[in-house]
Amino acid sequence: MDFDWSPEELAFRDEVREFIAENLTEEVAGTIFIDTPARVAFVDKMAERGWLGMGFPEKYGGSKKPIPLAQFILTVELDLAGAPIVGKNVGVVANTILNECSEEMKMEFLPKIFKNEGQWALTYTEACAGTDIGAMQCPAVDMGDHFEVTGSKLFITSAHFAKYHWIALRTDPDAPKHKGISIFIMDADSPGISLTPMHCIGTTGTTHRTNEVFLDHVKIPKSRLVGELNKGFYYMMQALDYERFAILSFASRVRRFGKIVDWVKNAEYNGNDRPIEDPVIRRKLARMATRVEVGTMLERLCICAAMERVPAVEAAMNKAYGATVGADMAELALDIMGPFGYLWAGAEHAPLNGYLVDEHLMAGHARVAAAGVDTAKSIVARRLLGLPNALGKPVLPAK
Amino acid sequence: MDIKLSEEQVQLKEGARKFMEDECTGEFVREMEKSELGYTKKMWQQMAEMGWLGMAAPEDCGGLELGTVDLVILAKELGRNICPSPFLSTVVIAGEAIARAGSDAQRQEFLPKIVEGELVLAFAYQEYTRKFEPGVIELQAKEDGDHYVLDGTKMFVEFAGGADILLVVARTSGEAPASSGLTMFLVDAKSEGIASKRTPTMARDHHYEVGFSGVRVPKDRVLGGVGDAWSSLEGVIEKAAVVFSGYTGGVCEMMHERATEYAQQRVQFDRPIGQMQLIQSYLATLIIDIYGSDTLTFFTAFNMDKGRRVRPYVAKTKAFAADTVNNTTNVGAQIFGGIGYMEEQDTTLYLRRGKQYQLALGGLDYWEDIIAEELIDVENPTLLT
Repeated sequence: MDFDWSPEELAFRDEVREFIAENLTEEVAGTIFIDTPARVAFVDKMAERGWLGMGFPEKYGGSKKPIPLAQFILTVELDLAGAPIVGKNVGVVANTILNECSEEMKMEFLPKIFKNEGQWALTYTEACAGTDIGAMQCPAVDMGDHFEVTGSKLFITSAHFAKYHWIALRTDPDAPKHKGISIFIMDADSPGISLTPMHCIGTTGTTHRTNEVFLDHVKIPKSRLVGELNKGFYYMMQALDYERFAILSFASRVRRFGKIVDWVKNAEYNGNDRPIEDPVIRRKLARMATRVEVGTMLERLCICAAMERVPAVEAAMNKAYGATVGADMAELALDIMGPFGYLWAGAEHAPLNGYLVDEHLMAGHARVAAAGVDTAKSIVARRLLGLPNALGKPVLPAK
Repeated sequence: MDIKLSEEQVQLKEGARKFMEDECTGEFVREMEKSELGYTKKMWQQMAEMGWLGMAAPEDCGGLELGTVDLVILAKELGRNICPSPFLSTVVIAGEAIARAGSDAQRQEFLPKIVEGELVLAFAYQEYTRKFEPGVIELQAKEDGDHYVLDGTKMFVEFAGGADILLVVARTSGEAPASSGLTMFLVDAKSEGIASKRTPTMARDHHYEVGFSGVRVPKDRVLGGVGDAWSSLEGVIEKAAVVFSGYTGGVCEMMHERATEYAQQRVQFDRPIGQMQLIQSYLATLIIDIYGSDTLTFFTAFNMDKGRRVRPYVAKTKAFAADTVNNTTNVGAQIFGGIGYMEEQDTTLYLRRGKQYQLALGGLDYWEDIIAEELIDVENPTLLT
């Protein structure tokens, strides 16, 4: 048993930290998304270092992985610093292309991903298909030499700056619902695509944007089919295991908790009221610190498993625990602030400029994104504990 | 980074599991609850033969000098079967205290006997106070020639009735709340002036209230520096807290396995209740806590073995393990429905222990104050990564 990082791992971590210290300007920080020119430029610099294609074959533009955990260390450090991360493009899209696609598609898309040429939207969700993603209806109709798509997609976060849609569509309406979905790569500037912005709840000006995507007779060339026809659901599930791990590290919660503790330490109100001297508040912070430590440990479990396989169960545990802790700590912070917890960004006296208000309002979002807490717990119940699928037929015990 | 057990550790774990399954059944645990001693000399001897009682002791005292990680591995197996034995007080607390603070003569006198299973020690620390801080200790030890004379009362002394030696923490100078002025004594349990009575507990384990009335202890039974107990005892308690967290981790593991198995077997509304999402949610939520607690326990044990400063990590480990064992035994029992609360059901052995274990060896108040202190008051704390 060895919980220590190796000298190589520490050296890589230091390299990443140096990079962040040099390049993470105020303009860049604040979101995980690569949605502005400054953030694109930041990720370009990572690409120059070969950090996007680590572990992928060189002929596709990949680079040698300096150490097995490089990808993980990179994600955690970026997340810890509040920098854009590359989990989705590399973790979901590139991995699936490498595993499932033709040589031609690999040659076309992998080098672009590793050079940060164009962002990707994961275009799965529909009004009728959220958690039950297999219920999606938006069809791709085989027109002989291409597929044609008419319908709509909801909550497509990166659609307004993406170059490509990694889109899941129904290709067989008659098959059982999980067996009639395919994934395609669709150019975001294809004729017939239009967007309606949707703004997440939060303080004006810093809100997280997502989109509804309308597709009107959009043509997708047959060469843009990912892997095999009607296997899309399985590719999505595989990638989700990866996404939960690659995109959502626990580090952002560690960062948030650090900010909260710093604020509490320094806050002072009338009547010599220093929250940090209140024994009840101290106990509450202690309890949260414990949960943060446990979250870090679950992530550790995930990393260790990831060295050998896709850590599906561990990632689900990490997700369920992390998102819950994230939500609870924002709430704890507002509890400590009392009425000052009302104040939004820009208000005079707003603690941490209203940061925790947004975090609180959006905390539930982290609980539902990328297969939510409850879905994650179902995965744990089924895959780790071996309990039967609650949505299936009764599975009676052997007598 | 690799958190798998080594081959030797897997052997330790598997050997311990097999022994516990064979010897430490629910029936045995119930028998022990009703027995005089609370454990059997036979099992204690077997534990010695397997090398368990010598795991922590230094090599020059006949021990194996293994680390906290190994103790946690073993403690988890003992916890799975809620093994009634004075392992914690004898091996982890007293043995460790003697190894750290004892003179050469004391080490040679006591440790080989602990290793051989010839000596059982109880830890007499807690007094008539809700608090666990050392500063509240009032039991007086007054110097009298070549002896000290002890007067006062200790409470919640586990296995005091079946112990040969009591490790007593007493006040030789100063007064509450100072943690200085405390001294450790190795007191012969048969000394004149000691009166023990068993205190019934919800776990039905063997706790005693021990009165000391003019108990004379020779000076060569002072352990460590006079007035300086806490400088070595704090580390001993930290180690015990981590090992105990391993033990309660085992309790959780077993309770959870049984509840999961029951959920797969118990059919209601024409399906196993484990196929219902609400039941799945309970079980999944618990197992996530159990995995987290387990990993944190090993993380802290590992760093403790490296000689690093682990004070905040010990506190977090103990606090979380405490909550987890209480939760797991409570919710686990609930999965069983009505039968989960019937005396003859073995899982009630676990339910009766969960809450008590949460409160044991320093409750949440004690450990959370340490966490707060380390989080808030310590400038530039060292963080383990």
